[in-house]
Amino acid sequence: MAKVQVLNVAVLDNPSPFGNPFQFEVTFECMEDLPEDLEWKIIYVGSAESEEHGQTLDSVLVGPDPAGRPMFVFQADAPNPALIPESDAVGVTVVLITCTYRGQEFIRIGYYVNNEYTDTELRENPPLKPDYGQLQRNILASNPRVTRFHINWEGCAEKMEDSENVDPAPNAMLPPSCTPGKAPPLGLVPDNSMDCL
Amino acid sequence: TFDVCKPIFSVDIHPDGTKFATGGQGEDSGKVVIWNMAPVLREEDEKNENIPKLLCQMDNHLACVNCVRWSNNGLYLASGGDDKLVMVWKRAAFIGPSTVFGSSSKLANVEQWRCVMILRNHTGDVMDVAWSPHDVWLASCSVDNTIAIWNARKFPEIVMTLKGHTGLVKGLTWDPVGKYIASQADDHSLKVWRTMDWQLETNITKPFSECGGTTHVLRLSWSPDGQYLVSAHAMNNSGPTAQIIERDGWKTNMDFVGHRKAVTVVKFNPKIFKKKQKNGSTPKPSCPYCCCAVGSKDRSLSVWLTSLKRPLVVIHDLFDKSIMDITWTLNGLGLLVCSMDGTVAFLDFSQDELGDPLNEEEKNAIHQNIYGKSLAITMGSQLSSTIIENPEMLKYQQERQGNQNPNGAQASGPENQTPKLTNVLNGESLEDIRKNLLKKQVETRTADGRRRITPLCIAQLDTGGTAAVNSIGMKSNLLLTSASKIEPMKALDSRFTERSKATPGVTSVPLTIGITPLDRVKDSSSVKEPKGKDETSSDSEDKIVVKSMTKRKGEMEGAEVVEKRKKGRPRKDAKMMPISQPFPQVTFLLSKDASLLKLPTPSIQKSFSTQVSTDGVTYLEVENEVSVVSGSRLSQLKWSREGREWDTLLPSRIIIATGSSDVVAVACEDRTLSVFTACGRRLIPSIMLPAPMSALHCSGHFVMALTASATLSVWDVQKQTALVKNESLNPILSGTEATVSQSFLTRQGVAVVSLSNGKTYCFNSSLETWNLIADKQDSLVQCTDFRSCVSSQDALGSMGPLALTQGRNLSAGRLASRLSSTPHHLQQGMTLAFLEKQLASALILLSASEYRHWLLIYARFLVNEGYELRLRELCQDLLGPVHKSSSSSWETTVLGLRKRDLLTEVLPVIGQNLRFQRLFTEYQDQLELLRLK
Repeated sequence: MAKVQVLNVAVLDNPSPFGNPFQFEVTFECMEDLPEDLEWKIIYVGSAESEEHGQTLDSVLVGPDPAGRPMFVFQADAPNPALIPESDAVGVTVVLITCTYRGQEFIRIGYYVNNEYTDTELRENPPLKPDYGQLQRNILASNPRVTRFHINWEGCAEKMEDSENVDPAPNAMLPPSCTPGKAPPLGLVPDNSMDCL
Repeated sequence: TFDVCKPIFSVDIHPDGTKFATGGQGEDSGKVVIWNMAPVLREEDEKNENIPKLLCQMDNHLACVNCVRWSNNGLYLASGGDDKLVMVWKRAAFIGPSTVFGSSSKLANVEQWRCVMILRNHTGDVMDVAWSPHDVWLASCSVDNTIAIWNARKFPEIVMTLKGHTGLVKGLTWDPVGKYIASQADDHSLKVWRTMDWQLETNITKPFSECGGTTHVLRLSWSPDGQYLVSAHAMNNSGPTAQIIERDGWKTNMDFVGHRKAVTVVKFNPKIFKKKQKNGSTPKPSCPYCCCAVGSKDRSLSVWLTSLKRPLVVIHDLFDKSIMDITWTLNGLGLLVCSMDGTVAFLDFSQDELGDPLNEEEKNAIHQNIYGKSLAITMGSQLSSTIIENPEMLKYQQERQGNQNPNGAQASGPENQTPKLTNVLNGESLEDIRKNLLKKQVETRTADGRRRITPLCIAQLDTGGTAAVNSIGMKSNLLLTSASKIEPMKALDSRFTERSKATPGVTSVPLTIGITPLDRVKDSSSVKEPKGKDETSSDSEDKIVVKSMTKRKGEMEGAEVVEKRKKGRPRKDAKMMPISQPFPQVTFLLSKDASLLKLPTPSIQKSFSTQVSTDGVTYLEVENEVSVVSGSRLSQLKWSREGREWDTLLPSRIIIATGSSDVVAVACEDRTLSVFTACGRRLIPSIMLPAPMSALHCSGHFVMALTASATLSVWDVQKQTALVKNESLNPILSGTEATVSQSFLTRQGVAVVSLSNGKTYCFNSSLETWNLIADKQDSLVQCTDFRSCVSSQDALGSMGPLALTQGRNLSAGRLASRLSSTPHHLQQGMTLAFLEKQLASALILLSASEYRHWLLIYARFLVNEGYELRLRELCQDLLGPVHKSSSSSWETTVLGLRKRDLLTEVLPVIGQNLRFQRLFTEYQDQLELLRLK
């Protein structure tokens, strides 16, 4: 059984300029004292087309985690524009928060992110070379997509005991390919991978 | 999506009647759900949006849940599933409601139930679980052909694995007297095992020889008077039956006949009934009888009274699929039935229909009559014969039993209880905390340079203590479908009349009614009312009214619930021990050579401020070189508390400033130490230090100084005496690579120094020694297990310097004991050694509250584990000599606590173990004697 349940993730400083650091306030619950730290990561999916533009913004160890309800703020620097294809700078993409325990990912939280110019002039005639200074990042905080995975909480990844364990698919949350400004289709994630009610 | 109706395999009503649990298949896991009973019982509650229907959902089982059972005391829920696990759940009292993050339906868990134990033993699906009377044992059976008997007082200890079945074991029931446990399996047998030696008492095969393994479960049941055991699926003349087995000689002469398909579940009503006296008729002596519900694969339910030859009522087509489990309400008038089709039905009888339930006294009288003892005081077989000699002892025994059976007292509904959230927020609101969390949270770098955040714990998980509930507004849409028809079963017949002879003392179950022709049953199934209320069917003798037999499709999964958030009320938590000053988080480097031991000094800052003392927020602000007067540079110290403030000037730059509620101490660059009162008056002329100051602490009117040459001094500035004089840290530092990681001063003036190697020492000024009080590497800590000796009040009592130095480590130790499988005797020894160490440490730290805390745990441990000699020694020391003698060096107090008061607290603990009743009496009498003097 999962020893950690994520209770809430609040997106702070949102919307904000593109260059501002990401801030997520994470509240979770530990069923018992965890002997090892949890590792949290923020991954920015730079391009809908390809995985190679995904960049891990930061990873952080969180611990000690006593039984109860701990919370923390995970702050990570904004993505490096150099790693984002110019064509994908404006529009909808995805930011992922993952958590691993003993090297096994047990939760992946995905948010759609919309990057657009605040200036109407720029919005209508976007420059060929994206002006990151003018871009605003808006995270769709109300719509997290959560995927949970069964892991072996007692040992490490090799000694998986439950047969029905699902390997965390790298594409569990694909960024939607849609035009900027439009609400992204949320039906992309297969419903059976959601561990909700 | 439309697959809202996942099979429900099990249902069980909580002993207090306010809730019930269901178990079955979830989305991709097993599912246990706890429901509120009130909306099921009362229509107005069902419609009331403020009354929650669903209390908690747990999807921790990896595969389908086959059985859920509440313990008799109502504190625990056990569940068994296809994932081979048995989970034991307990209510977490101090955590508020929570939603499932990321879930589309914002459905809150109103109550928080936590898995406190996972019992792993079975190698196949767990099919049934059952708590023994008085919750001494928990039994589980599995398709691995075995039955595990778990020690419910010491999970996960296995008392015995019962082997003998050669097929899948699918049902279990305990004898209410506690002498036997019966199991039914696919191997065409029903076995009765003795609890005395866990050997087979009898093996019944004849009624099952024709049975095929076609049912998912075989839930058998024992009658509340203990006289009859009724099996699930049996066969008689190629027809499915429920076999009645008499306790007396295990005879199998009778059965319940009539179901068209295999019987999956039999459940006796917990009450014994007697015939209701009719108005006007002459009161004739009526014999008590039992009531039993039978569910079958044929989707129908029959309810029988042992005084009637024919079923009291039969309900056909109650469900779309097989009945899986039945549970009665405690008052015996209602029952819940669950089905493979994913629904649960509630049936309600009136007292006219079932008769008058006997009260506990009458029930005990019957037991007394049959078994020569009342079940109410039967505690495990071993102690039942012990006579309680001392009335005080009896009181504690009764209290103890009262605690174990709190059914009556705590039967308040979930609606009228208030939340009990233990927030660790120290008086701050969650909002305030959140505002500053990013700034406040501690972030460090690990050895390999990675960021590490220490999360802030905003609520403690506490599964101890009694349950508390948040009342959360909920709305739900329930679909009411019309009730199914109620009609008598055609070939249904009980062969009760074939009883060979009356069992002695079993006059309770007479079989007086003759054959009732079927055509005397009128009105059957003719009345149908859309809401399913008040359907009536009557028979010539007894009018049968089945009320509110509502079938609520989709209720189990499809309930759409809207959640209203309720904010947790933050409460100042006692566990955040007020420390007189913040720990300087400076790590000092030390050279190996003892003679050159040097602790680094903090660098001089232009200005800094610190917060001191906890009663009222006090700030110390330092501004170095604030002005230059005739060549000498002056530094300013400013003190402020709630608007009041003072400042003073010092001729040298200030390195460290600290204070307590009573004094303020300041160390300067010129190796002087100045001490002021809280009002700013200088207490003593500057103290000249032998070396620059490395760390400085104040607590009360004590001042502690650690110098750069690794020496420690502690002064009582009020009495103007030295408690510790320039004592070297050499004894604790030499031979190690360790550095000082932390130091502080307790309120009693004991200096505590923690090293980077995990060891913490305090300096004992009377012995003039350094004493080891905590060691993170101590294997004793890792292996101790005294959880059973910690009461809920104790959890809060453990505050003080000792808890401060070892706090987290301790809980880790308890965790380790849960995970590791240290042999019991070894663990016992280690726990004893550990507890004694704690006591001694609390004593040396002069921490009275902690001493009392550990003393009580120690006493409880000695009582539980039966250490008589140590217990006697402890009592003797606390009691002291009864008659005054000049030669005695006995002190009447320890750390300001009166020893005899402590003994008064320890005695009730001793009183809980009957084994020590002589000891108890001995000291109780002496205490009494002293009190009279």
